[in-house]
Amino acid sequence: MRVDLSVAVGGVSLRGPVLAASGTFGYGTEVPLLERRALGGMVSKGIFLRPREGTAPPRIAETPSGMLNAIGLQGPGVEALIRDYAPQWAEWDFPVFVNINGETAAEYGELAARLDGVPGVSGLEINISCPNVEQGGLYFGNDPHAASAVTESVRRRTKLPVWVKLTPMVSDLGVIARAVEAAGADAICAINTFVGMSMDLNAYRPRLSFRTGGLSGPAIRPLAVHLAHQVAQAVTIPVVGIGGIARAEDALEFLVAGCSAVQVGTATFVNPRAIAEVHDGIAAFMAAKGIASLSDLPRYLPRD
Amino acid sequence: MFLLDAAITGRRQVARDMFVIAIEAPAIAASVRAGQFINLGWSNGPLLRRPFSVYRTDGDRIEIVLKAVGGGTAQLLAMNRGDGLSCLGPLGHGFEISAGPKSVVLISGGLGVAPMPLAAREARSVGIRVSWVHGARGADDLCSESEGDEVVWSTDDGSKGFHGTAVAAAPDGDLVLACGPNRMLAAVADRWPDALVAVETYMGCGTGVCLGCAVPLKRGGYDRACKEGPVYRAADVDWASLPSHLPYAVTA
Repeated sequence: MRVDLSVAVGGVSLRGPVLAASGTFGYGTEVPLLERRALGGMVSKGIFLRPREGTAPPRIAETPSGMLNAIGLQGPGVEALIRDYAPQWAEWDFPVFVNINGETAAEYGELAARLDGVPGVSGLEINISCPNVEQGGLYFGNDPHAASAVTESVRRRTKLPVWVKLTPMVSDLGVIARAVEAAGADAICAINTFVGMSMDLNAYRPRLSFRTGGLSGPAIRPLAVHLAHQVAQAVTIPVVGIGGIARAEDALEFLVAGCSAVQVGTATFVNPRAIAEVHDGIAAFMAAKGIASLSDLPRYLPRD
Repeated sequence: MFLLDAAITGRRQVARDMFVIAIEAPAIAASVRAGQFINLGWSNGPLLRRPFSVYRTDGDRIEIVLKAVGGGTAQLLAMNRGDGLSCLGPLGHGFEISAGPKSVVLISGGLGVAPMPLAAREARSVGIRVSWVHGARGADDLCSESEGDEVVWSTDDGSKGFHGTAVAAAPDGDLVLACGPNRMLAAVADRWPDALVAVETYMGCGTGVCLGCAVPLKRGGYDRACKEGPVYRAADVDWASLPSHLPYAVTA
């Protein structure tokens, strides 16, 4: 049985529902053993207006079924991204989203304006959820007014599809989700990493130099499925599920929870073929169940 | 770069708690250069792969050298001949060894022996005379397989060879290559700024995308041990900002 895995998400048509998550795929130019046919799209490493050095090492620490990272959004700045990477993206047969970051709502707006109309850039993912920067980032993601202000600032300056990536470090994610939907977001990506800490018992201090880091990997998956589901119930725009996806069954949990697509991140560090395996596994599952297209996949979305 | 399902073909002990594991990985054995590494994963292992310098090659086999420093390496050492590994590599940029210099000095501390047998072989294949200085805590900790036109041993406790560090025991050479604890490499940088050194960092992906293995540079900023490294010109690294001790936490 042939199954149709194409899906439209927040203003973009994807040939498949599996995307590469920001920060785990670089700019797409150095990914080993990439099987493009299975890639629905990718989200670039987070970018600021200006270059950033990132945080001092150690930047990562492995934890049970997960890892903490505090990279600090190291990057070359938006001008270098436009000069060095966007021309390559323009040749590719899948859409590239740019993950944008700022210390003020106005900076996000400037980035949006700068990237609007750049060939190779198919959309923007607003990062209001990075736990590893001193200013901005997560601050915007845990307050509905700030989240709304950033989203509006971007929406006003671009015609590109705008996705907003949310932090799980809030008491009610539905409130944030509704705020960014009202501010003009085309889709919501749920969720970014959880803030965590691990101690070095020889040095009597945190293992990461930044002290805290973002927890990713299978350890967070049930938390992420729950939050993605919460967001899907709260809004009418599409939801892109993220959090600990390593296999097709993991991705299907997010889809059944109400997501339209998913992003795979940490798993690609371990298994360079993870995205292709997730994509092919979803197709095999649907074929076995006699489900012809993703829109026919049953969703568990009771509205109360 | 290759991703191979590879079987363990053998294991031998080369020092106290230090073992060499041989792995059947033909495509990697045929292409690896001294100082490059592989990233190993295995089923029911820890989440992240574990990076290892390639120690030797022998036909279709590659070898790595390791100690049980944490949960992952303990699992590896508990495996048997025939057990399967997922092997990604070769990764990173190795030592640049080409004809020209008359002599090379290899300096290794403890597990820093890892890239040296391949380096010795590459150097000798282009007619460079090899002196290998290998240091460890005590005589039992010295890797028994050091080789070269000249081998110098050093121990911290004086139980074999030179009483002191490998750096202090080393002669001068036209080319100096070093691998060992980062504080040892900092001492190498003081004496031979142009030495080529292989650094140790934590690694996430091993392929350049996660930026987890940041190496602080003297000129400012960071680059990636897994991509631009793990071999650097000694004077280019900001040693004061590179962690000199890596706590290998035990993970579930």
